[in-house]
Amino acid sequence: MPLVRDLVAQFIQSEGHKVDIAPVDDDAGITEILFRTRGQVFSVTTYENDPGTYMVSTAYEVPDWARERGQNAETLERVNEDYPDITFLMAHDGGLFVASAQEEPGSPEAFTHAFWETVGRVREAGASAIERIVDRTESKAAAEKFINSFMRGDQ
Amino acid sequence: MSDPLKAVEAALDDEGLFFTRDDDEDAFRVAFKSEGDRYFVVSYRDDPNFLMIGSGWALPAEIEIYDALDVANALNVRKKFVKTALWEEERDVLFTVELCINEAEEVRGHFGRLLDVLRDTAAEFFEELRDEEDEA
Repeated sequence: MPLVRDLVAQFIQSEGHKVDIAPVDDDAGITEILFRTRGQVFSVTTYENDPGTYMVSTAYEVPDWARERGQNAETLERVNEDYPDITFLMAHDGGLFVASAQEEPGSPEAFTHAFWETVGRVREAGASAIERIVDRTESKAAAEKFINSFMRGDQ
Repeated sequence: MSDPLKAVEAALDDEGLFFTRDDDEDAFRVAFKSEGDRYFVVSYRDDPNFLMIGSGWALPAEIEIYDALDVANALNVRKKFVKTALWEEERDVLFTVELCINEAEEVRGHFGRLLDVLRDTAAEFFEELRDEEDEA
C-alpha cells in the first residue's frame, strides 16, 4: 500500500511543483512536504497513521520595524475571526507567524481534490494577516476599538 | 546565438517549478505547470527581442462567443501586461504577456509577477463569464 506522503508528494509534483520531503517523526509516520507556489513556501504535514488528516501551513516573516509592536498577537486574533478555520501561531519572538489549516477530508484522494483551494485559503488568510500587521493604521484601529468599548461603558 | 530562455529556466527554478524544453528550428520553447495549469514561454530565433509567456484554454461549449469577446475586451482595457485573445473557430482563449527585451535576464526578477497576472486574468475571465451565465 503506498504511503500517504508519497501520494501527496506525487500529486504536488504532477501539478508542476518540486517538493522536499522531510520526515518529522519516523516512528509516528509524520512527514512534512515542502513546496513553493506564487513565491511562498508551503508545507503539508501527512500522518501515515491517520490518512484522513492533513495540515497545510505557510510562514510569513514580520518586518523588523513591526516586530516590537505590542498588538501583533492581537491583530492575528482579529484576523482569525475573519478566517476561523485558519490557525495563526506567532514564533521566533514575533519574527514570524505561521498560518495553518487542519484538514480532515477523509482520504488522500479527497485531500488532493481540494488541495489548491486549501492552499488558497491559507494564502488568503496569511496575506490578510501580514497586510494588517504592517498596516501602520492599526494603532488607529486599536484606538477605535478602545473608544467603542468606552462608549459602551465597558471601561 | 545564446539561448534566450536560460533566464526563464532560472526563473522557473526560483519558483520551484518543473519545466520541459521543446525547441525547434523556428523557436525556443519552455512548457511548465503551476498549480496544475499549463503555461508556455516562446522566443523566436528570427526575433530574439520578442518573448511571450502564455496559457491557452478551451472555451466551454455553453459560453456565447460574443459574451467571451466582451469580457476579453474589458480585461484588455483594464489589465496591465496581459493580452486576452479568442480563436473563434477553435473556441480557444489565449492569455499572453508579450515583452520586448534586450536580455532575457531582465525577465527573471519579474517572472513571478507576470505569472500571477496571467493566472489572475484567466481566473477573472472565467469567473466573469460564469457570473454572466448565472445572471442570464
